[in-house]
Order: sequence, then structure tokens, then C-alpha cells
Amino acid sequence: MSNAVRLENLRKVFEGRGGSSRVVAVDDVSLEVKDGSLVTLLGPSGCGKTTVLRMIAGFEAPTEGDVFIGDERITALPANKRRTSMVFQSYGLFPHMTVFNNIGYGLRIRKVPAPELRARVLSMLELVGLAGTEARLPSQLSGGQQQRVALARALITEPRVLLFDEPLSNLDAKLRVQMRLEIRRLQQRLQITSVYVTHDQDEAMTLSDQIVIMHQGRIQQVGSPQEIYSRPRTLFVADFIGKGNFLAGTVRAVDGDRAEVEITQGRLRIPAGGFRPADAVWVLLRPEAIGLAPAGVGRWQGRIAAATYLGSEIFYEVAVGGQNLLVKVGHPQGATPLEAGNPVGVVFDEGSLHLIPREGTA
Amino acid sequence: MRHTLTVLAIVAAAAWAIPVQGAQVLHMYTALDTAETQLYIPEFEKDTGIKVEWVRLSSGEVLARLRAEAKNPQVSVWYGGPSQDHIAGKKAGISTPYKPPLDWTLPANAHDVDWHWVGYYFGAIGFGSNADFLKKAGVPAPTSWDDLLKPAYKGQIAIAFPYTSGTSYTVLATLVQMMGEDKAFEYWKKLHANIHHYDKSGSAPVTQAGLGEVGIAVSFSHDLIAKGSAKGYPIAMTFPREGTGYEIGGISLIKGGPEPELAKKFVDWALSVRAQNLMQQWFRIPLNPKAEVAKGAVRADQVKLINFDAVKAGDDRDRLIKRWRSEIGQ
Amino acid sequence: MNELRKILREPVLAAAIGVIAVSLFLFVIYPLFKVFQMSVVEDGRFTLHVYRDLLDKPFERRPIYNSLILGALVAVAGTAVGYLFAFAIARADVPWKRFFRLIATFPIISPPFVLSLAAILLLGRKGFITRMLFQGQWDPHIYGLRGLVLVETIAFFPTAFLIMLGILQAIDPALEESSLNLGATRWQVFRTVTLPLSVPGLASSLLVLFVESLADFGNPIILSGNFHVLSVQAYLHITGMVDFGGGAALAVILLFPTLAAFLLQKYWVSRKSYVTVTGKPSPARLSVDPFTRRLLFVLCLGVTGLILLLYGTVIFGSFVTLWGANYTLTIKHYASVFHIGGRYLRDTLILASVATPITGILGMVIAFLVVRKQFVGKGLMDLTSMLTFAVPGTVVGIGYILAFNERPLLLTGTAAIIVLLFIFRNVPVGIRAGVAALQQIDPAIEEAATNLGAGSARTFVTITLPLITPAFFSGLAYGFVRCMTAISAVIFVVSGRWNLITIAILGLVENADMSQAAAFSMVLIAIVLLVLGLIQVGVGRVATSQMGYEAAG
Repeated sequence: MSNAVRLENLRKVFEGRGGSSRVVAVDDVSLEVKDGSLVTLLGPSGCGKTTVLRMIAGFEAPTEGDVFIGDERITALPANKRRTSMVFQSYGLFPHMTVFNNIGYGLRIRKVPAPELRARVLSMLELVGLAGTEARLPSQLSGGQQQRVALARALITEPRVLLFDEPLSNLDAKLRVQMRLEIRRLQQRLQITSVYVTHDQDEAMTLSDQIVIMHQGRIQQVGSPQEIYSRPRTLFVADFIGKGNFLAGTVRAVDGDRAEVEITQGRLRIPAGGFRPADAVWVLLRPEAIGLAPAGVGRWQGRIAAATYLGSEIFYEVAVGGQNLLVKVGHPQGATPLEAGNPVGVVFDEGSLHLIPREGTA
Repeated sequence: MRHTLTVLAIVAAAAWAIPVQGAQVLHMYTALDTAETQLYIPEFEKDTGIKVEWVRLSSGEVLARLRAEAKNPQVSVWYGGPSQDHIAGKKAGISTPYKPPLDWTLPANAHDVDWHWVGYYFGAIGFGSNADFLKKAGVPAPTSWDDLLKPAYKGQIAIAFPYTSGTSYTVLATLVQMMGEDKAFEYWKKLHANIHHYDKSGSAPVTQAGLGEVGIAVSFSHDLIAKGSAKGYPIAMTFPREGTGYEIGGISLIKGGPEPELAKKFVDWALSVRAQNLMQQWFRIPLNPKAEVAKGAVRADQVKLINFDAVKAGDDRDRLIKRWRSEIGQ
Repeated sequence: MNELRKILREPVLAAAIGVIAVSLFLFVIYPLFKVFQMSVVEDGRFTLHVYRDLLDKPFERRPIYNSLILGALVAVAGTAVGYLFAFAIARADVPWKRFFRLIATFPIISPPFVLSLAAILLLGRKGFITRMLFQGQWDPHIYGLRGLVLVETIAFFPTAFLIMLGILQAIDPALEESSLNLGATRWQVFRTVTLPLSVPGLASSLLVLFVESLADFGNPIILSGNFHVLSVQAYLHITGMVDFGGGAALAVILLFPTLAAFLLQKYWVSRKSYVTVTGKPSPARLSVDPFTRRLLFVLCLGVTGLILLLYGTVIFGSFVTLWGANYTLTIKHYASVFHIGGRYLRDTLILASVATPITGILGMVIAFLVVRKQFVGKGLMDLTSMLTFAVPGTVVGIGYILAFNERPLLLTGTAAIIVLLFIFRNVPVGIRAGVAALQQIDPAIEEAATNLGAGSARTFVTITLPLITPAFFSGLAYGFVRCMTAISAVIFVVSGRWNLITIAILGLVENADMSQAAAFSMVLIAIVLLVLGLIQVGVGRVATSQMGYEAAG
């Protein structure tokens, strides 16, 4: 039986008191999460990602559209019948129950006999590396441990779909990195279809098979982490994931797989990606795709406007033709950063540039 | 914020200042109903220019409070309540003698031998029955003390606590003097089965009977009229044919009270024709022969009275109440 | 020692602590001590014979059982109704939430005995319901336990409601969602998560309501019939029988279960709580199924209907010429409120407006000292100042007449004794408001002021006070309501010079002057609402001006 999740034209409208305010939280979202894969819903707060997750869980009813798990339409199924398990941002551990009872809760609800329940809870504790803590109360555990209990509690009922609602946002930075690897490891080992909500792009990048970028209730782009990063389809996606320089330009000619784009600084030949002459575009230059050269060398000439020293790397702002470009330079040991005012040359490979449609000038 | 505080400070200052202004203030406890007190006090204030600050309490409560305050009397006058309570007060040493100058004779049973209290009205104990109740239950109004024990009246009678209410203590003392002490308590035990509840105030049962919350109130005739039929309640008044007790309503001056001279003026006023006439509004029988009796008020010659010994009743008060509490258990 | 030296370096702080400590001793501890002393000392010797005499007699013992039974029943019924409203509003998303919330808090501001009055008008032998619905064939027997459970449940369930609403709103919605998500039905969610998490709140509410019922005086004195309770008996012993020893002993007996419940609540139940009530409600995201919602809605509607019916009857009663005999409408009772009741009204307003701000300021100062300062006896100060909240008014009132009837503390008959009683009865309200407000303020703000050279007093006045002003005003508002509706303690200390409207109403009800009493009560409620409204407007303005300040800054 397939446990793929399919969303069809989901729409959610929240009505304010007396119909005074209407908020469209989710707008026409369709998505397929393949069986056993982990898909991340990524976006700024208020983009609708959590609402989508809650509609999958059954905590919110869609205004329009349908939710499927496998071939089963579950739109009208109550939350407790869906066999989805959610890991909450606040963990949602029952403060009045021990770790054992927290993890065993779902099995007890399903009336699993005591000996079997016990065995399964203990082996689950083993799996998440918490053996021996079963008699403690959640308040006696550290944040990371609580997170593991929440995970164990979600996994033990063998859900068809695992849902994560920003599960790591209450942990400190180091633990967060460690936990996300652990979650990924467990998910891949157990092959559970998972939907993961976060606003942290690093988390999304490291965890996901597929990333779904959401903005204002709509899906902006779906793709693998690499696709999302290197070939963003909208200005929003490009800006949200990583840093970038956006140069306004217009396609002047298309020649095979390359487009000739005119920008203030001159003309560039960039992989066309379906654009046609006269299209208004943004040219995306990732900071790490730009290199600095001695003055006089390179495609463009500019001056260092500012430098930010970050230990392993340096970010420069380089003034080129009235525009500041952000340039990331891996910092070679022992070298002194360039000072503001220094003239420099700018080098990059035209093939690494990427075009994004520019609106308002169709 | 600052402004608010200033205003509050001014109010506070004013509050403390008010008692100081106007030296002529008489303090009293009254056992009369609030509504009745309002009939007399403003008239006294008008006549004499003396301001009165008063608290209404049932007469048993007045006595209790005066005893509690004996070291530090707060008032100068105890106004109203049956003489036996005033006699008990004399015994407790809370009153001081004053013989008002009168151009008429107060009967001997209407003042203390030493003038520790003076009487100013007469009233007899009677029964007030709710006419609707009688009609519905198909029973006649009670006309004897024994009638009150009828099963038909079960849970229908209201009376006050003898220890808080002078009215109710008058009933107890009457029964004791009529039947002898032991018989009287036996009687009350039987009566207790018919009693719905006890009130603090002696006249409270009247309105309750008027409302129909109870069927029968045992109270003074003037209260039965003033708070019953005169107000429009369907109250039928009857008296026990064996004879009934009565009160001489009294006034005591309080020993060590703060305003002895004003207190004397009040006693003089209360016995004046003008003040005695005011009592028509409450159907009390005035003692001043020149005063007029309200139409419908019950005079001493209209009912059969027992030979009530108020002095004995007053002297026995503490003992009888103690016994009543332990035997009736209220 | 070190602490002491630190405090001595700040004379204003030291003086404040000293004055408050002395006042608390004089006006809280000493009266209680006098009550206790009166019950065990006779002719200068220690004796227990007052207790022996009392406990010997079945009719003196009965009120003890009666009070406990009544307290237990009211605690259970009131908590149940309070939980119903809290759950319906916080978790079930029923319609008319604001309205229910309003209704569920309204009885707090009404004088205690108004409900008894209403109960008689409705369910007495000649009550509206008794006559109209049952043609007098059925007597609801409201004089006694039944009636008292009814009116005290309505009178005190708001407390339970507020406690439970705080708890339910503080429960992380993720807990219930987790449970549902793990396969629990909505009922299982309630049984395994919501209810267990509410248990400490329920226990708290049971204890508080038990205490409130034991301490209630206004309702039983009107409605108890022959079902005597301790508070009224203690009162009758003193005012009716001049039996100070017996009254004091009954007061001490009343004090025991009350204090036990209070201490249990303060030191045990509150520690068992799983949720922290932060005052920041988390939005309930999970609702109940439509059937349950409808059921809860109907139940709330039923209780609301009853409450409206009770108050509505009082309103109607206040316009009736002669209740029970003549139902022609009239406004003469309102005219007499100002004629007969004018001086009561004036006295009550003056005393309340003197006592209220002092209470508020004292409460804030104590709250500030307790939350922010370290000094010897701090815990004791905290406990003592909260004590008057738990001690039944009857006990306090008896203590005041015993303690302040002799030189040099001769206060009986003065306005001062009533004001002092108001202040020390209500100061816990101010303290609670202050503590709650202070705990939300980052101490760093005050530390910054101290750091810039301000002393304790200056920091308090210039920094702390402005920040806690809204809490100060809500403390004031509630304190004012309690002054205006107080009866159980002040009934012992009112005098001819200073009389109170509540006492006057009680007299009217006792005399069964129902319509008059109803009119007085309505005027009293109207005044309370008016003042609350004014304070609300005041607070609103303060909050707005603060916002303006922030925006400008």
C-alpha cells in the first residue's frame, strides 16, 4: 500500500469575527509527496506552510480541495483516524505522564496489550537513544531529549505519514544540526513518508528529498535542494534561498541555448532557459560565483565599498557601474582583506548565471 | 494619575472632617424598624435642631451591643423595644435614670421604679394570618395559643429568635407567666414543629406572612397592622382568647453616654403630644392621654390581656433565653 | 545580617517595611489573636470550657456539620459550572463567547445577598415560579440547604470559572493535538490530557469555593431558614446573645477548615500545577465535535438563563408596588433609595473611596517589596497580607470589635475602623494584581534606574509605578467592588455615624421589604458598574498615553 501524500487544489480561508476579515492562508496548493520521501515546506512565517501541514493532519478542514494518502481520500476523515503523527514545535509532551507513558500513549489508545506495549516502548527508546529514562517526567529532560521523546512517540504508532512542525526551532544551534541529521537518518531507515515544515533554509537543504517553497499561501517552486538553489524560478525563491545579486536586464537575442542579455554594465551571454527576445529578466549572480582579480583584469572594474570578515570567508561589496555587488571570497590563510576604496577587477563565468522573470515589464 | 490622587485626598480629608462639624448630634440605637424610625427622627430634628445619628438593631441586639460597649458607650439613647428588655438592661447596668417632667401621669407599669427607663407606647401580641393561606388550607385563623399547635399550620408559622427580638421574648415571657415555666417550654417544643423559621427581627414575620412565604406571623398588633393590612397585605389579625402578653415600649438613657442632655430632650420629646400623635402612622397606642389613637389600632381594652409582669420578665431574661436555646436548640 | 545592613542604608525602604510590618501585625494578626484569646481565656485563666460547652450541645454542633456540607456541595457544584463555562469558552469555541464570559463574571460585582433575595422572589412559597409554574402545589423548600447551594453556586462559580479559564488557556494546544494525532478520540483527548491537566486547577477551585462558602454570611442570614451555619451562628452569639466567648469559639472553629483549605491551596495544590498561567492565552486551535459544542452551548445557555432570570426578577421586583399583594409598577422604591437610603449611600461611597486608593497603594508597595526586595520576614509579610483573604469576614469582624474597643486603640464607632477593615480585607487583591504585574516587568528596567543613581523609593515611583499602573487600576476596581458589597465583617463595626448600604439592604430583606431591598440593590449595582466603567476609561487612557509615549520614543 502506498503512503504517498497527494494534495489537490487545497485552499484555506480563515474568516474573521463576523466575516469582517478574510485571510486566504493557503491558495490552490497541489503537491505530491512520494512514498517514503521527505518533503520540506519552506517559507517565511505566514506563508501558509503550517496550515498545509495541519490540513494533512486533520486539524484544519480545507475550504476547498482534497487530501489523499495513497489512493484514499482523507479530506473528511477525523484527525484521530488518519494515522499521521505530528512532531510539534513545542514537542507537545504530556507533562503529567512519564516518558514511558508519553511514548506508549498511542499504543494504549489502540489497546495494544501491556507486554507488547512495554516491549515496543523500550525498543523505541533504544532507537532514539534514551534507554533508561522511561520513568522520568518530561520536565526532567533536556530540550534535545524531549525532542527525541516526541519523535519516539510519533514513530511508535507506525504512522503512514510523519509530520514535523518546526520541530527544532526551540533547540540551540549545535543541537539543531545534530538532531536534523538524526531525523534524516531515522526517516531514511524507516522509510516513512514525511512532510517537514520549517523556515530555516539550511535545515531544508540538509534534510529534504524535495523542497517546496511557499509564499503568501501559494507554492512558488518545487524541486530538489540543488534545483531550488541553482535554478530558482522566481525572484522570491532566489532571494529566500541563499544570497544573490540581482541585475535588471532585457533579453536582446537568443542564440541556441544562450540568451544575450543587456544590463547596465554591458551585455552577457547566459543559458537561455526558455526566455525569448524582449523578455524582462533578472540576472542572478550568486556571491560565490564571483571572483576578484587585480585592477585592470577581469570582465568588469570596480572598487571595494565594504568588507565583512567572517573567519573562513570574506564578503565584499564591490561598486560596479553604480551598483553594489556582493562577492564571497574564500579567505586564504594569512592574507589581509582588501580595504575599502581599492580598485579591483570582477570575474565570473557567464554559464553560472541564471535568469529569472522580471515582472511589471512584460 | 496625580490629579486623581489629589481628588481622592480631598475626599479623604472631607470624610474625616464631617463628624467634627455641627456639635449638636445625638447618637442612638433604635429597635424600631428603619421605615418607622424615618417617621419620627426627622420630626425630632426639625423640632429641636438636634441632629440624630442612629443604628437600627433588634432590641436583643441593642442590649447585646450596649453590654459589649459598656466600657465605651457609643450612644446616649436606646429608643424602642419592650420594657422587659429595658429592665434586663437596667439589670446589666447599662442605663442611667431620668425622670421626665410630665403634666400627666405615666402608669406605674409604664416606667421603671427608679426611672431607668420610661414607657411611651403600648402594644399587644397577636397572630397575623395570610388570608389566602387560610382559604386555601381551609382552616380558620388561630384564636388561642393551642390553635397554633394544629397540624394544619405545620411549617407555616414564623416568629423571631427570643434572644434577638424583644417581640419574641415577650411571647416567651407571656407563655411562662401564663403556663408556668416547664409547661411553657413543653408548649414551645410542640410549637417548634410548626415553625417554618426564626427571624432576627420581631416584625419580620409580618411581611413574610403578608407575602405568603409563611401562613402565620406571631408579632405585635401594631406591626401586624402597619406592616400587614395597612400596607395592603391580606393579613387577618387575631388574638388568643386565653389572654395575651403585651409590651410597654421603652426608652433608656445610656450610662456614660456621650450626650446626656440631648438624650433627655429626646425623652421629653418622645412623650410629647406631638411625638405621640406621630405614632398613629404605625398604629402604636400612645401613653399620653392627650394623644390620638389611630383608627384600627388595638387598644388595651379591646383584647384580653394577661397580668403581665414585665419586671419579672426582664429579670428572668438571661435565664429563660439560655433554657430556650438549650431546649429548642436554635 | 548583610541584608539588614543593606536595608538600613535605604531609610525610605526601611521605614516602609517597618510601617507595613507594624500595620499588618496590628490590623491582621492582633484581631485574630484577640478572637482566639477570647475563646480560651476566662477570668485571666486558660480554659477550654467554652469549646466543651459548645461541642456538648447538639444544636451548637450542627452548624459545624452544616457549614462543611454546604461548603463541600457548593465547591463541587460551583467548580462544575465554572469548568463548564471555562471549557466551553476556551476549548469548545461555542457561539456567544463574550456574552457568556460577561455573564460568568457578573455575580462577582453584585452584593452577595441579592441572589438570595432573587431566590425568594422566584422560588419562595409565593415566588413567581412556585405560583406560576406549579400553582403553589410544590414547595421548592429554598429556605435551607437547597436554596443555599443554589445561590452560593451562582454567587461563587465565577471564581472557579476564572481559575479554570486561566488554566485551560495556558494548556499548550499542541498537547491535545498530539493526543488526537496519536489516534485518541475527542473524548479520549479530554479524559487523558485536558482533564488531568486541569486537575490542579480543579483542586484549587474546589478549595477556594469551599472557603468562600464557609465565609459567606449575606446569603445564609437570609436564606438559611432553620439550617444554621457557622458564620451566622457566630454573629448571633455575639450580637444577639452577648456571648463573646461562644461567638469567638465558633469563629475559631470556622477558621480552622478555612485556613486548612487556604494553606493546602497555597502550598500544595499550586505547586502541583503542570501549567504556568502566564496571562498570555494560547489560542485554542482544536475544537470539539458539533454535537458536544451544541450541548455545551445549551448548558451554558441554561445557566445563563438562570442567572438572568435571578437578576431580572430583582429588577422587576424593584418596580413592584407591594410584592406578593400588589404588582402594579411604580418607581417609588427608587425614590426612597435616595430618601431613606441617601445617607447610607453617601457613607458607603465616602468610606469606599477613602479605603480603595489606600488599599491599592499599600497593595502595590507590598507587592513591590515581596517581589523585588530581600529582607528578613519577607515570607511572613507575604503570608500575613494574604491571610485576610482566607479568614472569613465574620472572624475578622469579631476580631476588630474585640481588639479596638479599648484605649489606646479605641476605634469603635469611628470611620477609621471601617476604613481599616476595608483596607486590610482587600489588600490581598491589590497585592495579587501588583505581583502579577511586577513579574511581567523585567527587573533589568528597575536595575537600570538604580544603576543611574535612583534610590529604592525613587525607582518605585518613577519606574515601577508607571509600569504597573494598569494593574494598579484593576486592583483598585476590584477593591472598590469589594468595599461596596462587603457585609460579613463590617456588620460588626458599623455605627450610627457611619453606616453602609449593604447593611441597610440586609435589614430590608430581613424585614421582607423585598421591593425596597431590590431597588437598593439595583442602585448599588448601578453605582458599582458606573465606577468600574470610569476606572476602565481611566485605564484605557493611561494605556493609550503609554502607547503614545512609546511611539514617540
